[in-house]
Amino acid sequence: MFKYCKKLQYPINIKKKDLRLARYLITQYGGSNGELTAALRYLNQRYTMPDNVGKALLTDIGTEELAHVEMISTMIYQLMKGATVEEIKAAGLDTFYAEHAKALYPTDANGVPFTVAYFATTGDALADISEDMAAEQKARAVYENLIDLTDDPDVIGPLLWLRQREIVHYTRFKELFEYYEKKLKKGENEIVNKKPINNLNNSINNNFFPNMPLDGNNFFF
Amino acid sequence: MNTYNYFEDNWLRNMTNNNSLFTPEEGFLKGNLFSSLYSQYKNYQPMTLKATNEREKFFLELSWVAFAAHELNLYLDVHPNDTSMITLFNDYRKKEMDLSRKYEEKYGALTVMSENSNDNQFSWEEENWPWERDMNV
Repeated sequence: MFKYCKKLQYPINIKKKDLRLARYLITQYGGSNGELTAALRYLNQRYTMPDNVGKALLTDIGTEELAHVEMISTMIYQLMKGATVEEIKAAGLDTFYAEHAKALYPTDANGVPFTVAYFATTGDALADISEDMAAEQKARAVYENLIDLTDDPDVIGPLLWLRQREIVHYTRFKELFEYYEKKLKKGENEIVNKKPINNLNNSINNNFFPNMPLDGNNFFF
Repeated sequence: MNTYNYFEDNWLRNMTNNNSLFTPEEGFLKGNLFSSLYSQYKNYQPMTLKATNEREKFFLELSWVAFAAHELNLYLDVHPNDTSMITLFNDYRKKEMDLSRKYEEKYGALTVMSENSNDNQFSWEEENWPWERDMNV
């Protein structure tokens, strides 16, 4: 279960409304490399991690991403606060306003609504974690693009902070990837990809993946 | 009025003997507790957060230790046998629990379960929500 704490992970206090910036930032809410995508990716992938190391890390980073969704949402809310309809029109947010007024709604910077097609789950730990590493790098790059687009210190501060989180998460995912890769080399690949090597009577694996061919091939090497 | 003295006793610095870690304050400001992982973007510097009153000081300290405990949590997920980090994690975790309890007693609930049970009223809705804050930190 999840419990709500009435506290941002890092403070957001934007004093200057800036609708153009809100239009860009929204991509880290509902875009392909955004925080919502990240949270859903990790929180879906965690169930089929081979052991508790992966389950723990994906749960904990996935939960942190929910806190980042709240930070980005807060930034968009504060950037749009007090805007007049005329200002909204001038910033090109009139089409957004038509549907949502000033309510939060996850889209990318071009107004394309959020979709779960932005992430994958494969049931294969190494494939899933590779995607997670790439996702963290892409999110870091997007944060850098967004920092380039503004000179408001109240916005740059939280963006720098979120960018740094991508770097830490990337490192942890890389460590997790290497941990599973090492297990695989040690012949524990049934733990990693749940495919038995030579044990055709492995009932656990048979029950988990009844349709999987038990061909004895090592999938990765 | 009782003034809160965590600030004076410099416990945050004393706790961190590990050179590869920033202090909780510095780590929180940077968004990264691990000095070896910190990577600056262009010449941007992290935002400085200054508490302007007792409540903000309190809140900021809570944020520092909560962040440090979380960073060590992620680290320990992948390195569960690192005993010195386990010790440090437990220190920060306990500090976070202690600070949360004291903050909530004085300034209001952060979670609905920590509602002050002596009150006959439901005060969960009284505190501002995180997106419309009345604090600088």
